[in-house]
Amino acid sequence: MSKAALVIGGGIAGIQASLELANQGFRVYLVEKNSSIGGRMAQLDKTFPKLECAACFLTPKMLAAGRHPNIKLLTYSEVKEIRREGKNFQVKINRKPRYVDENKCVGCGVCARFCPVEAPNDFDVRIGVRNAIHVPFPQAVPLAYTIDREQCLQCELCQNLCPVGAIDFKQKPEETEIEVGAIIVATGFDLFDASKREEFGYGRYDNVLTGLALERLLCSAGPTGGRVVRRSDGKIPRKIAFIQCVGLKGKSGRLYCSKLCCMYATKEAALIKKQVPNVDVTIYYNDMPEFGKGFEEFHQKARSELGIKYVRAEVSRIVENPVTHNLHLYARNIAFGDPIKAEFDMVVLSTGLIPTAAKEFEKNFPLKIGEGDFFVTANPKVDPVSTSVEDVFVAGVAEGPKDIAESIEQATLAANKAAAILKE
Amino acid sequence: MIEQQEPRIGVFVCHCGINIGGVVNVPQVVKYIRTLPKVAYAEDNIYTCSAEGIDKIKAAIKQHNLNRVVVASCTPRTHEPLFRGACVDAGVNPYLFALANIREHCSWVHMREPEKATEKAKDIVRMAVARASYLNPQQESEVPVDPTALVVGGGISGITSALCLGNQGFKVYLVEKEPELGGMLRKINRLYPTNEEAATVLKASIEAVNNHKNITTLVSTTLKSVDGYIGNFDVTAVKGSEETKFKVGTVIIATGALEYRPTGLYGYDQYDRVLTQVDLERVLQSGKAVMDKFFKPQRIAMIQCVGSREDKPPRSYCSRICCMVAVKNAMQLKEWYPDSEVYILYQDMQTYGKDYEEHNRKAREADIKFINYTKKNPPEVTLLPDNRVKVTVTHALLGEKRELDCDLVVLSTPLVQHESAKELSKILKVPLGQDEFFLEAHVKLRPVDFATDGIFVCGTAQGPKDIGESISQAYAVSSRAAGPMANRKVRTEAITAVVNSERCVGCRMCEHLCPFGAHRIEDGKSTVIEALCKGCGVCAAACLRRAITMRHFTDDQIMAEILTAFVTEPSAPSESQSSLPSKGGI
Amino acid sequence: MVEKQEQFEPRILGFLCNWCSYAGADLAGVSRISYPTNIRIIRTMCSGRIDPLHVLEAFRQGIDGVLVTGCHIGDCHYITGNHACEKRVAFLKSVLPEIGIDPRRLRLEWVSASEGGKFARVVKEMIEDVRKLGPSPLRKELQKSASE
Repeated sequence: MSKAALVIGGGIAGIQASLELANQGFRVYLVEKNSSIGGRMAQLDKTFPKLECAACFLTPKMLAAGRHPNIKLLTYSEVKEIRREGKNFQVKINRKPRYVDENKCVGCGVCARFCPVEAPNDFDVRIGVRNAIHVPFPQAVPLAYTIDREQCLQCELCQNLCPVGAIDFKQKPEETEIEVGAIIVATGFDLFDASKREEFGYGRYDNVLTGLALERLLCSAGPTGGRVVRRSDGKIPRKIAFIQCVGLKGKSGRLYCSKLCCMYATKEAALIKKQVPNVDVTIYYNDMPEFGKGFEEFHQKARSELGIKYVRAEVSRIVENPVTHNLHLYARNIAFGDPIKAEFDMVVLSTGLIPTAAKEFEKNFPLKIGEGDFFVTANPKVDPVSTSVEDVFVAGVAEGPKDIAESIEQATLAANKAAAILKE
Repeated sequence: MIEQQEPRIGVFVCHCGINIGGVVNVPQVVKYIRTLPKVAYAEDNIYTCSAEGIDKIKAAIKQHNLNRVVVASCTPRTHEPLFRGACVDAGVNPYLFALANIREHCSWVHMREPEKATEKAKDIVRMAVARASYLNPQQESEVPVDPTALVVGGGISGITSALCLGNQGFKVYLVEKEPELGGMLRKINRLYPTNEEAATVLKASIEAVNNHKNITTLVSTTLKSVDGYIGNFDVTAVKGSEETKFKVGTVIIATGALEYRPTGLYGYDQYDRVLTQVDLERVLQSGKAVMDKFFKPQRIAMIQCVGSREDKPPRSYCSRICCMVAVKNAMQLKEWYPDSEVYILYQDMQTYGKDYEEHNRKAREADIKFINYTKKNPPEVTLLPDNRVKVTVTHALLGEKRELDCDLVVLSTPLVQHESAKELSKILKVPLGQDEFFLEAHVKLRPVDFATDGIFVCGTAQGPKDIGESISQAYAVSSRAAGPMANRKVRTEAITAVVNSERCVGCRMCEHLCPFGAHRIEDGKSTVIEALCKGCGVCAAACLRRAITMRHFTDDQIMAEILTAFVTEPSAPSESQSSLPSKGGI
Repeated sequence: MVEKQEQFEPRILGFLCNWCSYAGADLAGVSRISYPTNIRIIRTMCSGRIDPLHVLEAFRQGIDGVLVTGCHIGDCHYITGNHACEKRVAFLKSVLPEIGIDPRRLRLEWVSASEGGKFARVVKEMIEDVRKLGPSPLRKELQKSASE
């Protein structure tokens, strides 16, 4: 039986699982579709409830995974096919072309400095810009540049400037095949596309943004150097509303509770309050899930010490004032239905978590999917990591909404279950 | 021996393409470095981190008999392991390597001042050369781990981790202070949301534990002392007057929690018809006939958040599960008494998790009535002449008061820490948080570990959670404990503290300061348990007798950098600096 | 006197902890944020390693300003190291005037791994603050020329 494992997804859960397995002596292939590992945690400024620096904890783990002798990073790659053969899995992995030789690139950045093309930066939720040749963020692992071929003008300036000759426009997608004994799926999440809730004006109104976009504004390494400003006029907002539960709606008002959003909204509200002490912040919510240690204390502190207002209401729509670009919010008090109307100069939509990969998996490898398109596991309480397929495990948000602590816990569990199989 | 050899330092200054070379005059830096004492060889490279650059380092080490290596390039956070690897390949201990950061800390931040940047680069490399001349070789070592675990607490978490570890082939001692295993689960009727009977779940697990060849169960037993460190704990357990001693490699705390008894609140302990949820579970366990006899409830009110979410610690937290417990029990009561009115008086409903939305919806469908109250205006409970209880609740938004004459009032109170846990935290030297639950090393990144290696925690001992979460955490913790036990060893840091026992007077300041429990006082002197030391150096800086230093970050090494930061010929440092001779294996 | 014609360039020594503040300084570099060349950096694993005697020796050698940085309280990789550092700096500030050193020559800042901008700003501020205070009274050249 193969002594190697495949980890799909290089976010915190995937990194943790890989390190656990690698430290126990197993070979790990860590496949990540983006050009760097790090996942969603790399986009965070601080974590709740203690407002600790996310990068301070994530980057050493990323570096450790990047240089561990037992871990092979396959970034900018996707799993194309998984086939069972006896006790093992044959996995076909498609490596997308960076047009830069990862082994030669030393991350010096000369190419980006002279690249004439600027394009919206996905890492910054398209608020900031980056060049056609870029790294997604400065602490990327591996630290190798990638060319976005669609944006690239093919001016070849980068190729001429690159001191190690790492640029290769002739690169083609490459297929690799590996054999492993166990698989851990840690494909994480996307955020619900807020434009689908048209009543909130996302994408139409300048000063309506998502929670993740706000996180990038707050981040001192982000597109505005950590300053929260309005898109319409660059001014600091004075009155901000957070709308919770922005996601797909089911019969009871929502399909499932995304768990994190009330905490991340509270976190972001607290961080804004620290920046702009007399800013007025209101959070419109349904219920306040407090599933972790210190969350209630954090929530109470937000209310009493920081003066953040919490209103139990269902927001029905947002209307923009075309002159000031301020936003009028219309809501209904949950218990009674009396109407609420208020004006804000910035509205933040706390969008729900949706699992990234489920549908794709269904096509080429039937892992059972359940409510909300999260992977179904043997028993959500007793065994939350074993999937419908033997020797395939899931960890992190791919299994269901959870925070960083729970993702790490689950990844540890999944890694050890995988280790038990590989030892046989 | 290398310590007695004169340092022969090789310096490799990197251009990093134009990243460094475009600002700093690298050849000038190399020329300067060659004039420094103890530098046996210096060269520049375009890309030191390339395969070619690494080969050049190895070749130079052999050719020029170098015994210290300095690379002046980018930040150590990326390439230090790479360069250390090159040293090892060429026969030089990896801790005889120093890195001078002349890119992130020099060329990249002084791009418009090339002359000043060049002067600064010379200073930076000079500092690294001075440091290198005081470096000594270091070894990482290993500590053997006994493949036996101690699980403290025989509730569902303890039982689960004991079984998990036992099944993996490890020997387990399961210690439980009560005469029976089972913990809180013995008092519970049914589990949500599956509605299975707690007793069934428990029976199967207890049988498995009692029949397991790898698990030794000690009931009516408490811990007297646990000495030692990861891999090597010496445990003394006590049953009555009898002591049992044994050795284990890891310790798992699974001591669970208690339900808070809200004496004095809402008539609890005063009025017969006011119970807690656990009291109610007991009655439910006994069957409908018992419920009929004592209560025959037509109107029931449950009050949430009693004694929790308070303004001050310890009970300022939300106990998370009580909302679901109330819904579960309310549904059971509705099932037995379909015509009854069941009210849940809540502040916020906790509905996290995939299934709980569903569960809440079913509750509303079953006609359970939810009334929202605010913390500022809690409900009031008064006794009625017929021994029933009147609950007056002020609706959160309307402000309107409702009076409910109830046959049964159930208070949802939080889980709280056992009194005995406070003693346990001292025995194991692990901390309790403000909420009095065991405090993990890091809420997000190490949720089941303690700062002290080898000791873990799971279940409600760490904080309120439901049974499924406890079981899940028990599995996770067993994985964590299994790691070192399976490998039969753990690696220790090379960078550890060293105590000069001649100078030590046993003041215990180091023991007090160390968050990892790495200092122990033996025979009046401090000793370092290398397996636990993480190399932070707080003890070294604190020792008033200058008796402690840190390997690889000795006072001499730091002082060397201070003295060469700006001046080429510093005055001699004052005598009180060094606690130890600069050569001599530290 | 020596420094009359040219502007006095303060010599600043910075102690950075490996986990947060060194990474923050690296980020300033990666982001190409400029700051003046007056600072030299010493790395320790934890800000708790910094001994008051190290700082005092730095001043004794004539260094004009000492910047001590570490992780924000609560973020310390070694949990409580930065608490110890904070207390020691407070102690030093009370002791420095006794040896004729203005306590403003010693500065404590918490810098996280994502605060490259903050690191650069703090360095710039400190250079200007110390420039206003003038050269350290313990600088050898001043002592030498004073005795001439």
